[in-house]
Amino acid sequence: MPRALITGITGQDGSYLAELLLEKGYQVHGAVRRTSNLDRSRLHHLYRDAAIYGKRLFLHYAELDDATTFRRVLMKSAPDEVYHLAGQSHVGLSFEIPESTCDMTAMGTLRLLEIIRDLPQRPKFFHASSSEIFGQPAQSPQDESTSFAPVNPYGCAKAFATQMVSVYRQTFGLFAVNGIMYNHESPRRGENFVTRKICRAAAAIRLGQQKELPLGDTTARRDWGDARDYVRGMWLTLQHERPEDFILATGQLHSVQDVVETAFAAAGLDWKNFVKQDARLLRPAEPMRLLGNAGKAKRLLGWEPQTPFRTLIEEMTRVELAALSESSK
Amino acid sequence: MSKKALITGITGQDGSYLAELLLSKGYEVHGIIRRASTFNTGRLDAIYQDPHESHRRLFLHYGDLADASALARLISKIQPLEIYNLAAQSHVRVSFDAPEYTTDITATGTVRLLEAIRETGINPRFYQASSSEMFGLVQEVPQRETTPFYPRSPYGCAKVYSHWITVNYRESYGLHASSGILFNHESPRRGETFVTRKITRALARIQAGLQQKLFLGNLDAKRDWGFAKEYVEAMWLMLQQEKPDDYVIATGETHTIRDFLDAAFGHAGLDWQKHVEIDPRYYRPAEVELLIGDASKAKRQLGWEPKTKFADLARLMVDADIQLLSDQLSGKVKSND
Repeated sequence: MPRALITGITGQDGSYLAELLLEKGYQVHGAVRRTSNLDRSRLHHLYRDAAIYGKRLFLHYAELDDATTFRRVLMKSAPDEVYHLAGQSHVGLSFEIPESTCDMTAMGTLRLLEIIRDLPQRPKFFHASSSEIFGQPAQSPQDESTSFAPVNPYGCAKAFATQMVSVYRQTFGLFAVNGIMYNHESPRRGENFVTRKICRAAAAIRLGQQKELPLGDTTARRDWGDARDYVRGMWLTLQHERPEDFILATGQLHSVQDVVETAFAAAGLDWKNFVKQDARLLRPAEPMRLLGNAGKAKRLLGWEPQTPFRTLIEEMTRVELAALSESSK
Repeated sequence: MSKKALITGITGQDGSYLAELLLSKGYEVHGIIRRASTFNTGRLDAIYQDPHESHRRLFLHYGDLADASALARLISKIQPLEIYNLAAQSHVRVSFDAPEYTTDITATGTVRLLEAIRETGINPRFYQASSSEMFGLVQEVPQRETTPFYPRSPYGCAKVYSHWITVNYRESYGLHASSGILFNHESPRRGETFVTRKITRALARIQAGLQQKLFLGNLDAKRDWGFAKEYVEAMWLMLQQEKPDDYVIATGETHTIRDFLDAAFGHAGLDWQKHVEIDPRYYRPAEVELLIGDASKAKRQLGWEPKTKFADLARLMVDADIQLLSDQLSGKVKSND
């Protein structure tokens, strides 16, 4: 049975990836941080399944700033593949807590690379990189050869981690891969990310639990995909014969306004009556023109995103409607 | 009242030259030094002033780029008009041995400092010491401000992070933050583990009959080498501009380590081939390619130009190390061997 270790397993991508790997017959280990509120809602269904938890799914306490514990977890779980998804991943928040963003997202990745470098059996390593490394790109769409130009603390930290993965691949021969992923959403997206926030608000307004939705700049456009397509891409990169970097993206741009209109329509509402502009939600430096060309992933991995934008936002809104009407009962 | 400047890395080669330059321009200079059980202020001996002297213009404070609270406290206490961030784990080969520490100081240390500045609400001008190592596997020759980065070492990755986070604080918060992308710069004060200084120091000892062999790594590595004393002037000039910007500081000439051996040993009338041996331990795991800088923007906008050329630099370093060794042997100065 192949073994995998996932950092960030409690997050959107980690939970989908855990499901995918379990389905493929892996034994899955996850690193979780200790918090006083045991919020692992995205893993509940797996955690409660007696056939899975403790048999094919194992969770270990480990923090990215604690190298010794991580070394111990890696020695103990002896994975064939490591998927490094953990990180302070909220761009807006990275302006408020830049130091810890750097410590977790940049330094945390380096600590893992250092541990793996010393392991007797080195696992393959996937690093969840981000389109934010391109910031204000000189070309659009971006591909694997586009130069980095990050414009926020999160992007700077991710760019560091991405370059360090390349250095360890070239210098120490690690099978280490950067998946440079564009925005990817799902019903499990964190509640402070804009797509989830909009879908949730549309549902809450529909159910009379909320009156309006304040938003920053709605003209901002993003390349938005479905997280479930992206975790499949992660797995494929580690099955490729050589370690290489891959862009994972849809190649299509939609604006925040498109999300608003689709979500409110899915909730049976006219967005114009509910959305309010709020300058406080504007980012200090807004990245533009982030659009990915995933041609290489298609060519070498046979990977392509399958869920169209509209379908994704409609599903997210439906799930919110169901969850909110359930919880208000 | 004189202008106040704060220098991190003041005990280093560049920091000590910069402190001298700023003192000569009438600044009150503050430096952050790390506590160590051995004295680390040797390069500041010439300008050091006893704390009991009145009218002091040089002040040293204990601190560390790893210690965010100390940084915030110092900045708020000193209220400097200019901050020069020169501190780093700056040795490329060592960054492969201690990558986490290198990153903590060279990358995270910069964002700690920028955060401390933002936190205290003062609005100083900020200089970030960027490095040609950011170009690593060079994407164009010569390298200029717009050349994409391709770092090849943990040190290079950490410096790229610091460069970008500096640009980010300039764009996001309007900080007058400039980044000087300095190519290699040497001097008699260069650290003893860097190749140029290692050569000139060994040469002095070989000439004095105290040493026979000198072990080196890759002799074909090419670098753009300038004189540190001139490079710190460029740092100061960047912070005097109306607008913050990024500048490449370089000589525009490239030479191999072999060339440096020729120039240095030739000046002392010795044949390096009789003394130099290759030790693969000194090879870097990944070597950087043809580093050669185009400093035309600095010339145009700052009026800065390198004056000391390669052969003169080698000669002045040889002369200084021969003098230093003879002073040590005669007991005039203390040896730190």
